Amino acid sequence: MHEKMTRGVWGLLLWPYILTVSMPLDCKEEPGSLTRCPSISQEKLLDRVIHHAELIYRVSEESCSLFEEMFIPLPLRLQSNQAGFACITKTLPIPSSKSEIEQISDKWLLHSVLMLVQSWIEPLVYLQTTLDRYDHAPEMLVNKTKWVSEKLVSLEQGVVALIKKMLDEGTFTTTYNEQGLFQYDTLPDMLESVMRDYTLLSCFKKDAHKMETFLKLLKCRQADKYNCA
Amino acid sequence: MMTKVGEVLLLLLLPAFVPHTDGTRYSLPGKPTEIKCRSPEKETFTCWWKPGSDGGLPTTYALYYRKEGSDVVHECPDYHTAGKNSCFFNKNNTLIWVSYNITVVATNALGKNYSDPVDVDVVYIVKPHPPEKLEVTVMKDQGWPFLRVSWEPPRKADTRSGWITLIYELRVKLEDEESEWENHAAGQQKMFNIFSLRSGGTYLIQVRCKPDHGFWSEWSSTSYVEVPEYLHREKSVWILVLVFSAFILLILTWLIHMNSHSLKHCMLPPVPGPKIKGFDKQLLKSGKSDEVFSALVVSDFPPTTSNYEELLVEYLEVYVPEQQELMVNKGKDHDGCLKSIGSASDSDSGRGSCDSDNLLMDKSGAPKEEQQQQNQEGDQIGKETQGPKEAWEKEAMPCANEDVVSPDASSEKVKTWPSVFSPVTPYSPLDPHNSLEMHKQHCLSNTQFPPGSPSSDHYIKEALQSSYWEVCFNNNQPYPQTKVHPQLQAHSDRNISAVNDRNAPTGRLLPTRMTEYVEVQRVNEENKVLLHPIPSGHSREKACPRVGQRDDYSKVKGVDSDNVLLLQREVVEEESMEMAGAAESCYTSSIAFTTPKLTACSPIALPVQDERVLAVSGYVDTATVFSPHT
Repeated sequence: MHEKMTRGVWGLLLWPYILTVSMPLDCKEEPGSLTRCPSISQEKLLDRVIHHAELIYRVSEESCSLFEEMFIPLPLRLQSNQAGFACITKTLPIPSSKSEIEQISDKWLLHSVLMLVQSWIEPLVYLQTTLDRYDHAPEMLVNKTKWVSEKLVSLEQGVVALIKKMLDEGTFTTTYNEQGLFQYDTLPDMLESVMRDYTLLSCFKKDAHKMETFLKLLKCRQADKYNCA
Repeated sequence: MMTKVGEVLLLLLLPAFVPHTDGTRYSLPGKPTEIKCRSPEKETFTCWWKPGSDGGLPTTYALYYRKEGSDVVHECPDYHTAGKNSCFFNKNNTLIWVSYNITVVATNALGKNYSDPVDVDVVYIVKPHPPEKLEVTVMKDQGWPFLRVSWEPPRKADTRSGWITLIYELRVKLEDEESEWENHAAGQQKMFNIFSLRSGGTYLIQVRCKPDHGFWSEWSSTSYVEVPEYLHREKSVWILVLVFSAFILLILTWLIHMNSHSLKHCMLPPVPGPKIKGFDKQLLKSGKSDEVFSALVVSDFPPTTSNYEELLVEYLEVYVPEQQELMVNKGKDHDGCLKSIGSASDSDSGRGSCDSDNLLMDKSGAPKEEQQQQNQEGDQIGKETQGPKEAWEKEAMPCANEDVVSPDASSEKVKTWPSVFSPVTPYSPLDPHNSLEMHKQHCLSNTQFPPGSPSSDHYIKEALQSSYWEVCFNNNQPYPQTKVHPQLQAHSDRNISAVNDRNAPTGRLLPTRMTEYVEVQRVNEENKVLLHPIPSGHSREKACPRVGQRDDYSKVKGVDSDNVLLLQREVVEEESMEMAGAAESCYTSSIAFTTPKLTACSPIALPVQDERVLAVSGYVDTATVFSPHT
C-alpha cells in the first residue's frame, strides 16, 4: 500500500516528463492513432525554411560586400556579374537553369538544397577561424559570419525535417561534404589567403541564393503544381 | 624570262587590286568595346557590344562564349532578335549561377580584332521591365481623401513561382514646377496608399521594380490623378478662432474707451503741484511779493504767550574762528574798543560779521555747534522769529548764504536773532517791506562798503559796514516794554553818530544776524554803555581790552530821555569757551554772519532814532531801530 502510494505520487510529480517521453516529436500521423503529434504543419515548416534561407542570403551578401570593402583592392574586385574563381560546390549535381529546374522533381530539389547546406557548414566554420587571424577585421563581419554559420545548421535541420515530411523518408544522413571538397591548408601568401577567403564568401553568397530560389519554387509547386516552374 | 615578265606584271597589277576609295587607308577593324549584358527575367539574357572602327572594310562581328568549368567555345546562337550588335541567349542556353566568359571578335578583310573578355553571371545582371498596369484611384476615409496606387509586375518576370522576387518603389509629385518627387518603398506588395493630399491638386505617379539582387528597372509610364476639393478641417477651426478673437478685441476696445479717463488716471497719475499752506500762486504771478509773503506769515507767530520766560534763552554764544580773531586784532581804528565782556575766548565779541572770506564758513561751521548746545533753549526763540525769519529768508535766497536761508537749520541760528531782533510781529506788518529790504541789503553786503556812503533810510549797507556794535543781551530777563523802543531807536542812532567821527553810519544799523557789531566804547558812570559802530573798510581792530569778567548786556533796562538805550549790565560768569570769542567786538569792517555771542552787559546806550519799537522781549532790532543817518 505504502509503496503504491509513493509510486502514484512519483507518477503525479513526473507526469509532464512522462508525457513528453511518450510522444515522439517526429511522430507519424497514423489513422486511428490516439496520440496526436505536436508537430508543425508542412506549409508552416516550408515557410519558415524559406524565411531562413532568405535571411541567410541577405546576411551573406552583406558580409561579402563588407569583406570586399575592407580587404580587397579595387582592381581585384569581382564584378557583380562575374563569378571569377571556381566555387567549391561546382562539382555538385545541382541544376543551374530554369529549364533544368522545371524538369527536376521535388525530391531532387530538396536534396539539392540539402546538399548545398551540408557542404557549406564546414567552410563557414573555417571562415570564422580565419577572420580571427585578421588584424582589423570589423566586428560586424565576424558577427555576421558567426550568425550565418549558426543559422545554416538550423537550416539543415529544417530541410531534413521537410524531407521527412514531404517525402516520407526516414532520416538518412548523406554526407556530401567529403573531405575532398574543401582543403584546409593554409596558404603562406597573405594575398592569396585573402583572395581565397573572398572567393569563399562570394561563392557562399551565390549558393545561398540558390537555396532560396529552390525552396521558393518548391513552395509554388506545393500550392499549384501545374503553373509553377 | 617569262617569270620575270610575270613578276613585273604582278607588281604592276598589284596596285589595281587595292581598291581606290578616296585615298582612305584600310586597316584592321577596331576592337569592340563595352560589352553589356542584361537579363530581364533571369531566364534569358542579351549582350550588346560597341563596335570599333571598321577600318574601311566591311566588318563582321562574332560573339563567343565559354562556360565556367568547361573549355568548349560556343558561338552566339542569335544575332538578330535583340537588334544590331547584339547577341540573344534564349532560355535553353541560359544557365543561372554559372559564369559565362564572353568575347566579341571583329573581322574584316584584313584581319580580326578581339575584344576584352567579360565574365557574366546571369543572376547578377537582371534588370526587369517596369511594372505594368499602374492604376490610381481616389478613395475617401471619413471625408479625407487618399490615393490608392496598384500595379502589376512586368509580364515576363516570374514572380508567381518564386523564381524571381521583385521589390517595388513608387514616386509621387504634384503637377507644380517647383515640387519634387517623393519616393516611397513598397517592398514586395503591389499596392500602396498615399495620404495627406492637397485639395484640388493633380498628382503624377510612377513605379519601378528591382530583383533582390540586380538593377532597378526603368520608371513606368506616368499616371495622372486629380484630387477633389475638400475643406480642410483645420482651416475651419482657424476661422472660428479668428472670429472669436476679433469679437473679444472689439469688446476690449469698447471697454477701454468707456473707461479711458479712469485708466489714464491710473496709468499716468497727475503730478502733484507744490503745496505751501497759504501760498497763493496767483499772487506771486501778479508780482506783489509782499502780499504773498504776508500770507505766509503765521498769524499767531510769535506765540503771544505771556510767559516769556519759557522763551528765554540762557545765553547766546557766538563762535568766531581764529581767522577772524586775527582780523579783529588787526583793527586799529578803535581806540577804546571797550569790551564790556571780559571773555578772552573770542575776539569776535559775538559779531557775526559778513566777512567776505569767511562768511559761509562761519555760518556753516561754528554757529551750528553753538546752536546745538542751546538747542532746547533756542527752540522757542526760533519759533518766535520764524515769522520774520521766513520773510527774510525769502530775501536771503539770493544771498548765497546757506546758513541764513534754511529756516529749519536756522532754528538754532535764530538764537542769535533774538538777541538782535525784537519780535518782528509788532513791526513786521508795519514795515515788512523795510525789514525785508534792510535784510536784503544786509545780506548783499558781503564785502566792505566804503564807509560813509550816504544811504537812504532803507539802505543799511553803509550802516552795516561801518557800524559794529556789540549788543549784549540778557535772555533771562523779560524783554523791556515796547514803549522803550522808539526811544531806544532814536538814542542809538544819535549815539552812534556821535561816537563815530568818521562817516557816520547813515544807514540803519542792522546788527541782525550778527552782521553788525557795536563796539562798546566805554562804560560811563551810570552804567551806560556807549556803543559806537566799528568803522568798516580800513578799520583795523586793535586788541580790545577785555574785561576780566563777562558782563551780560543782554537786558535792556530802558531808554532814557536822551534816547539812549539802556542796557542792563549783569555780571555773568563766563564758563564756556565759546563765549570768549564772542566778547570782543574788535572786528574788521567786514560783516560776518556769525552769531554774536552774548557777553556780559552793562546798560548801554544806544541812540535810537527810529520809531521802531523794540521787541517786547527786549532785544533790539537794530535793523529797524536805526534810521539812516544822513
